[in-house]
Amino acid sequence: MGARAFQGFQTILVAWDGSPQAEHALEVALSLAASTKASVLVLAVIRPPEPAESAEMNAVLEEARDRYESNFGSMRTRAKEAGVELKTEIAVGHPAEQIIHRAETAQASLIVMGRRSHTVFHRWMLGSNSERVVRSAYCPVMVVH
Amino acid sequence: MGNAWILAALWVGLALFATLLAIWFKVSTALSEIVVGTVAQLIFGVILAREGLAGNTQWITFLAGTGAIVLTFLAGAELDPVIFRTKWRESLVIGLAGFFGPFLGCTAIAHFVLGWGVRSSWLCGVALSTTSVAVVYAVMLELGFNVTEYGKAILAACFVNDLGTVIALGLIFSPFTFKTLIFVVVSAAAFVILPFLTPWFFRKYGGRVSELEAKYILFLLFAMGGLAVWSGSEAVLPAYIIGMVLAGTVGKDHSLIRRLRTLTFGLLTPFYFIRAGSFVSVPVLMAAPLTLLILFLAKMVSKAVVVFPAVRAHRYDGSSGIYYTLMMSTGLTFGTISALFGLSHQIITQGQYSFLVGTVIASAVIPTIVANTFFLPRHLLPRKEPIVSPAQTAIQPAVVEK
Repeated sequence: MGARAFQGFQTILVAWDGSPQAEHALEVALSLAASTKASVLVLAVIRPPEPAESAEMNAVLEEARDRYESNFGSMRTRAKEAGVELKTEIAVGHPAEQIIHRAETAQASLIVMGRRSHTVFHRWMLGSNSERVVRSAYCPVMVVH
Repeated sequence: MGNAWILAALWVGLALFATLLAIWFKVSTALSEIVVGTVAQLIFGVILAREGLAGNTQWITFLAGTGAIVLTFLAGAELDPVIFRTKWRESLVIGLAGFFGPFLGCTAIAHFVLGWGVRSSWLCGVALSTTSVAVVYAVMLELGFNVTEYGKAILAACFVNDLGTVIALGLIFSPFTFKTLIFVVVSAAAFVILPFLTPWFFRKYGGRVSELEAKYILFLLFAMGGLAVWSGSEAVLPAYIIGMVLAGTVGKDHSLIRRLRTLTFGLLTPFYFIRAGSFVSVPVLMAAPLTLLILFLAKMVSKAVVVFPAVRAHRYDGSSGIYYTLMMSTGLTFGTISALFGLSHQIITQGQYSFLVGTVIASAVIPTIVANTFFLPRHLLPRKEPIVSPAQTAIQPAVVEK
């Protein structure tokens, strides 16, 4: 399989979790997209608790879907004001895997994501999503602090 | 502990702590509450001598039992009747295989290898026969299989599997007297009438601040649960089937389901899962870890041996993640309900209960840990095909593949 040549920013994928860091990542992505005529795909990933339990998992999915959908409303307005084409999606699963997977299927030319300042213990136990994405993504990744 | 409010504060405080742990470690609240219950009993058992968390106090037993019943009802109400109707044949075969494999396999291993008595071995088979609908559904959502025919059939099969577990739990240990016959006849009549009566009743009187719907559901669950216990059966059996028969009506009323969830997670299930955890004896588990390993392997192997041919018989590709999840996952709810039923009816000892709950937790947690730690879902990750600049392309035009 041959390497694909870089053809400028066409689709920028923003990983969204509602945090201030994700908000910052969205700002950067919208600004970059406006200046490069790229489109923005915002992906929110719902991570079910493990091991999932029936009633709890459905509650988590519904609550997160409602929250993200309400976030997406204001995002669309901001994108429209910036003259950027914006799509939003919600996936379920491990955040890093879903971000990489969607970046590939959407042929994203850049992933922009925030980096949460986790404790060493948290990183040791659960790992960092941004580190995983940087390690495994096929396209450039911009991590916003 | 004589002061009910202090005891309630202790239990709710533990539930709060368990919830924080669940948030920090991104694990299910049920798992966190079981573990907190076990550890808290160990600590408070030392501080307060034998009384510990006082899990057998009457009002705690009632709240915990109600939690199990409502949780089971909610689990049944998640069934999609349309999927089940279209895929009932495959679902029945795979679901029954998924139930009977570990049910018979674990019963045999408990009896012939571990030397457990006949009734405790049957109980072991029931407790380890479950499959977690939620775990399978989570994997399906992740892989995008939830919209495929294959995924729908497997999901419906999980409901059949769990139905097998609750029916076995409700009937195997039942004395089969005239009371049992009355229970079966009344239940059958209720299961036929409820899908028609309930929507009509809700349309006529529902939608008010007095929460008529919640009272109606609780009345049904308590009444049928009471009848089940009176006949020598188990209250979760009618609760699960009521959930299933009302899945197409009540199950679609998201507002009602959300209100029931608030009641369930906010008050009831913490008492159920912490209580289930508090009866686990850590010293027993540490004294004989091999027993835990044998039961764990018995569950995994016996499930795999029967589910694999059943899945293949329906020309489904057995290589997908759902298949492995179906084989391995165990529902914490039905697994612990079965074990707790055995303990409270003196079918199993506290030691056997500890091994069963330990195995249920292990078979719920270990596949997840293994999957997250060692198994990289390559179907989700891209083949290495980096985007390179034109300059790099000139130097390195060859295939970059891993």
